[in-house]
Amino acid sequence: MKWITRERPKIDRIACPWLIKNFVDKEAEFIYVPKDEVFNKAKELQAIPYDIPGAEYTHEGDFCTFDYIVKKHRLLDPSILQIARIVRAADTNSFHLAPQAAGLWAISAGLSVNHKDDHAMLAIGMKIYDALYSWSKYAQDETHTWQSKKI
Amino acid sequence: MKWITRESPKIDRIACPWLIRNFVDREAEFIYVPAEMVREKAKDLDAIPFDIPGVEFSHYEDKCTFDYIIEKYKLTDPALNTLAVIVRGADTDRHDIASQASGLWAISAGLAYNIKDDYVLLERGMMLYDALYSWAKHLQKEKHTQNPVDHIFIDVYNKFIKQKSLKRKTPDWVRELRQIIQDQVDSNLNLTEVSKSLDINPSYLSREFSKHFNNLSFGEYIRKLRIEKAIELIKQKKYALTEIAYLTGFSDQSHFTRIFKQHTGKSPSAYRKEWEKGNANTKG
Repeated sequence: MKWITRERPKIDRIACPWLIKNFVDKEAEFIYVPKDEVFNKAKELQAIPYDIPGAEYTHEGDFCTFDYIVKKHRLLDPSILQIARIVRAADTNSFHLAPQAAGLWAISAGLSVNHKDDHAMLAIGMKIYDALYSWSKYAQDETHTWQSKKI
Repeated sequence: MKWITRESPKIDRIACPWLIRNFVDREAEFIYVPAEMVREKAKDLDAIPFDIPGVEFSHYEDKCTFDYIIEKYKLTDPALNTLAVIVRGADTDRHDIASQASGLWAISAGLAYNIKDDYVLLERGMMLYDALYSWAKHLQKEKHTQNPVDHIFIDVYNKFIKQKSLKRKTPDWVRELRQIIQDQVDSNLNLTEVSKSLDINPSYLSREFSKHFNNLSFGEYIRKLRIEKAIELIKQKKYALTEIAYLTGFSDQSHFTRIFKQHTGKSPSAYRKEWEKGNANTKG
């Protein structure tokens, strides 16, 4: 399927494509257009509009579009649920929900400054969520320290 | 120049190359080898070893190699200072000193898990620091929400939280700060850094501090906690006084002795003697 949303993605519009591509629809294709063209283009291209008010796939109360996809497609992988919380926290500016949110936001906001091409941004962003997923699944209990003393 | 360090980089060994290439040496080349080969290969290849114990470019006390490079090359870009605290937080497992540290750590640990080639990882990782740098430089204050309704919701929520904390009379930052100080009483905490991590103006913090911390200034409060911790350690009888001075964050023994005396009226050794005597008596 084709999935369409507003241009200049930062969090949810990168995280959702990652989720869709990996866990919902391997063949998914993603399209970014100016905000006021999303619904017209969606009809024209037979694409599913997402992360825009008025679409089925959008924010719901305190929850973001990523959460809606998790719910709708009954994704139960605990790592996905953990990422959902981080994405929600970063996307809705509720950093207190997950300690990783402030860092994800800073990195995503910075990436968006550095990469003006939405698809380049998407390609890099996918690696970020791949990383978060691996961290959640395999590396989250790891800690990291060492110290050398000044003599 | 060539720069050489241990293989399987995660934070500091990615962040330092980023810093070096962008701010110190554009032509820098980076080499990763097994930890035990770094010194030898450094000589062979005429490379500068970094981020291993015992070399110049390394961790010092609570600072990491990234901090050392900033200090050494006198880099004064404020965005780099913001970045340094995040890198240090992620690299030394003190995620409380910068709110972005946990996220940087999670993403870096995951990238390292996914990418086994250190040089590919380096190129990918550089993008993270490019991004953090742009964020620190241009967007630090920007918030992100999807639509106006969210803004209204957040405003109301913030007001609600504010009112709640007014009623409590203890602002959130005070509780957060108390926790930070508690956790890091043994490190070189300073007001400027702490205010940065709390996102509060340092002079405001310094002014407001004593209102919430028993009329003590920032420095006085930290010294008080350090002495309390020292007393606790003396009573445990497990440590020499030099160790206790170190464990409570005093840079040298005589400074420790002086401050201890100011607070308790006795020198640490006199205090220990008396306590041991008193304790022996009760046992007898």
